[in-house]
Order: sequence, then structure tokens, then C-alpha cells
Amino acid sequence: MDCEKFDRIVLDLLYDELDELTTAAAKRHMEHCARCKAIGSGLRATREVGALPLVEPPDGLELRILQAEEQAAQLLPIGKRLGRGLSLLASYAMRPQVSMAALLMLMIGSSLFFLRAQPGDREHVLVTERGVPESDNDSVTIIPKKPDAPEPARVATHPAPTARVEDGAARRDRATESKSEAAPAAAPAPVAAERYAAAPRSEATRGGAALGASDDDKDLEGSGRASTDSDASYDAAMAAYRDGRYSEAQRHFDEIASLGGPHAANAALYGAQALRRVSGCPTAAPRFEEVHSRYPGSVGSDAAWQAADCYRSLGELARARANYEQLSADPSYKTRAKEAIAELDQRVADQELAARKAATAAAAPAASAAAKGKAPAASAPAKPAASK
Amino acid sequence: MAAVQGDATDEMLMVRYQRGERKAFVELVRRHNRSIYNFVLRQLRVPSVAEDVTQDVFMRLVQNAADFKHEARFLTWLYTIARNLCIDQLRKLSHRRHASLDQPQGDQSDAQLLGDTISDPNPQASAERGALSAEVRSSIVKAVDSLPDDQREVFLLREVANLPFRDIAEITGVGENTVKSRMRYALDRLKEALSDFEEYARALR
Repeated sequence: MDCEKFDRIVLDLLYDELDELTTAAAKRHMEHCARCKAIGSGLRATREVGALPLVEPPDGLELRILQAEEQAAQLLPIGKRLGRGLSLLASYAMRPQVSMAALLMLMIGSSLFFLRAQPGDREHVLVTERGVPESDNDSVTIIPKKPDAPEPARVATHPAPTARVEDGAARRDRATESKSEAAPAAAPAPVAAERYAAAPRSEATRGGAALGASDDDKDLEGSGRASTDSDASYDAAMAAYRDGRYSEAQRHFDEIASLGGPHAANAALYGAQALRRVSGCPTAAPRFEEVHSRYPGSVGSDAAWQAADCYRSLGELARARANYEQLSADPSYKTRAKEAIAELDQRVADQELAARKAATAAAAPAASAAAKGKAPAASAPAKPAASK
Repeated sequence: MAAVQGDATDEMLMVRYQRGERKAFVELVRRHNRSIYNFVLRQLRVPSVAEDVTQDVFMRLVQNAADFKHEARFLTWLYTIARNLCIDQLRKLSHRRHASLDQPQGDQSDAQLLGDTISDPNPQASAERGALSAEVRSSIVKAVDSLPDDQREVFLLREVANLPFRDIAEITGVGENTVKSRMRYALDRLKEALSDFEEYARALR
């Protein structure tokens, strides 16, 4: 340490504001430096002797201060009181425990916000086989009744409600199996069952219920039932259809279809279906065609399929074939339509073969008869000749 | 409670007072009213005025208690209030340059003089201070009174309030080196005033 530095720290040394090392260094310097020693000693002596004598405050000053404080506290303006309260709250709010609790509450709140239930009344989102969510109105499940079966075709099995998406290969396999087991006229039934399995609940449930759905189907029906009036009318019509009161069901479906609304397309299709039950295919086929032309989409395709089925049962194979060809453009009916066309072609070929055979069979006796007719005429003159 | 408050720092007491604990304020007054009174008295030199100003200092503390931040140093805050009030009062009284130790103090009935007050032996003063002669004490007071305002202010904050230089710099609004420089001048002036006394010569040995 040198004298210059000593001059800078001498007051700190005098009032003990130096650290131990610097204090020791300053004292060592004073031992060797007479000038700095004189300065340090002079200041220390001045401070010791010249300590300012303190005066005791007057008696009663403390009491006066406390009394004034009491009065001031009572007269404290509201702003100051609020400030005091805020200060108190702030002192608590600044505590780490409060901060941690606030952070925890913030985390819980944000978690609840992000995990809240999705809006809407759907419990499950059903998708088509292509992975696109189906709307409620553009898909309907039609399970045609076998012409020769008194009871509606039942859905044999279908996947659980939460696992309704089937891949296309599985569908084709099932369709092939069903086709091999069922009569050609009843071919749409398993197909419809598959569609029912893949259709949105609000539609599929109704279709399944119409065909005498199982308990699972009824659960689905109950969960998908709407609460509006139109829904109630539609449900009543479905109930009539389900109970075999087809005339009543047809009347209700026709009313719903004429009023329009979200169920109009399905009601029109079911109305045609009920008409088929009541009056048969000759009357129902034009109705199916009308539904097909009025409601494009899956309802129209279903109606076209039903119309083709009617034509086939009526023996109008050319019209049936025309409908199937039209349906072959629909991805959901493409495979089935082609199969149906192949069946029809086979059937037509069989019919032609049978007709040819019948024609051949009919032509042979006629020829023999003709041959028999000519022989007596030729022999008759001979006989006289011979008799001659 | 008293024992607990006796161990508590000034800042803790002030925070308690902010929360409405009046006993904390009583303790703060008990601790600091003497040093505040002396600081104000040396600045204003009129005991009756010093008494009122001391009371005002604590009333300012009451009124602004909500503004006190717990991380701030209480004494710095308190002496800043006292200094500002002294400056205001000096402006009002214009006694700064003209007060005399022999001047009667206001309308006090006993007409107590500042010189008498200081010369009055203090039973609670330290033995070292009690050993000083009345003449020496008078010389000290005169030397302090004769100091320039800025030097006297620093000297009082250092010797009476026992504040470190850093806090004094904060209160006075100047740099710490400036504070030390003023203090050094004040001590040199005091040294000159005391150099003729035997007590000082003894202290030098």
C-alpha cells in the first residue's frame, strides 16, 4: 500500500468499514510511513475527543409521537389504508409458497382447458371405409327383404360400436361369402348389413332397427335418436315398419318425405321399401326409380339397387342390368354391381340356352310329324299302284 | 414479544408495522427518536423546533409506511425524511446562518439555550464523553456549527446516526467519495478546534 491509496481509505479505516486484509495492510503502512501515521493518529484522536455529545430528547417527546401516531392512524385517508392493505397482501403474495400454489393452479386450469370435452352430442365419430367422416344425411342403410322371406333379414353380426371401420378386403370377403350362401334375389341383404355396420349411428341404427336389430342395435338406436319432432315422426314410422305395419309405415314415410327435412331422403327410401312390402315390385320399382332420381348420393344408389332388385325379380333383366351398370360407377356399389351384372349375364345366357333347347325340342316333333305326313301321301299312290 | 422485537431489525419492525402491528412502531420510536432528535437539533439548533420536527419525521413515517419496501434500509429512509424536513424548516426559519448559542429559544418559559443544553452533563452519556470538560464540549459544538452545511450534514449522519458512507451518499444524493471528502474536511476543522486542548494531546499519544 502506498500513501495515495492510504489517503483514499483512511476514513474507512477510521470507521472500521474496511475488510481485514486492507485494514492489516493499512496498519503495516502506517508503521513504516510517518506521514500516514500522523494522519491516521490525528483523525483517530479527533474522533475520540471530538465525539459530539448527544442530547436527550425532551421528556414526553416519545409519548407525543405515539399519541400523534394513534391519531394519524385513525385519520389515515382511505388511499393510505388501502395501500397498507395492499402492502400486506403483497407481502403474502411474494412468498414462495403462494407463488408455487398459483403456478400449480395455473397448470391444472390449463390442463382442464385442453382436456375438456369436445362440443357436440356425438360420443363417437364414425368414418367410412375411406377414412372420411360420414355426415348424418348422406348415408342410409337399406337392407332389402328377401322376396321369399317373411321376416326382415337380420344383421348377423357387426363390429363393436367403437370399431366400425373395416378394410375393403374384409368387406369384399364377407360380401363374397354372403353371396355364395344367399339366393341372387337376396344378395343385397348382406351388403346392406355391411353398410349398416359402417353407417353413421343415426342412420344405421334406424336401418338396423327396421330389420329387427339385436340388443346392440337397439342400444345404438337409442343413443342415436334425436329429440326433435321430425325425429319422433321418423321413429314412429320406423316402429311401424319394424312391426310389420307396412301400410301405416308407408303413409308416415311419405308424409315425412313430402315435408322435407333431414329425414326426407331416408323416409322416401323406406316409403318405397314399405310399398314394396305392401304392393310388390311392380308398384315399388317406379317408386325406387323416383327416389333414385330425386336423391343423389348414397340414398339414390340404394334406391337404384332396390329398383334393380325389383326388376330382376320381375324378370326385366335388361332394366336391372341398366341399373347395375349405373351403380358400377358408385365406388361403394362397384364390386357388387359388377357381380350382379355377371350374374345377370349368366342368367340371360342360361335363359337363352334354355330357350334354344326348348326351341330345338319343339322343332324336332314338328319335323318328324311333317315327315310322317309326306310319306303316306307318297305311298298311297303306290299302294294303288301296288294294288294295281 | 418485547424480546422478539428487541432482536428484530428495523426493517422487520417496519414490515410488521405495515401489517398493523403498532408495537413495532413503538419499538422503532424508542430506538431512533434520540438520534433523530440530535440530528435535527444540530441542523436547526432550536430545541423546540427540533422537537416538533422530530415528531414530524415519525408522522411522515406513519403516513408513508405503505411506501416502504422491505428490501430498503430503514435508517436510510428515515434520515432521508429527517433531512428533507430540516431543509424545509431551515428555509422557513432562516436560522441557518444566524442562530446563536446565546439566543433565547422561541417562547419557551425556561428560555433554555442550546449551549446550556449541550453543556448540561448527560447522565446517560458515556464515561469517555463525561470525562470531557465543558469547555471542550462547547468547542466541539461550535466547531460543528461552524461547518459548512454539506460538511455538517455528512458529519452528523456519520457521527450521530452512525450511518456508513454508502448510505450517507444515498441520502445526500452525492457520490461516496464526495461524502468522504466532506467528512475529511469536517474532521480537519474539528481537529483544528481541538488541537489546543490537553485531551486531544493525550489522545494523540
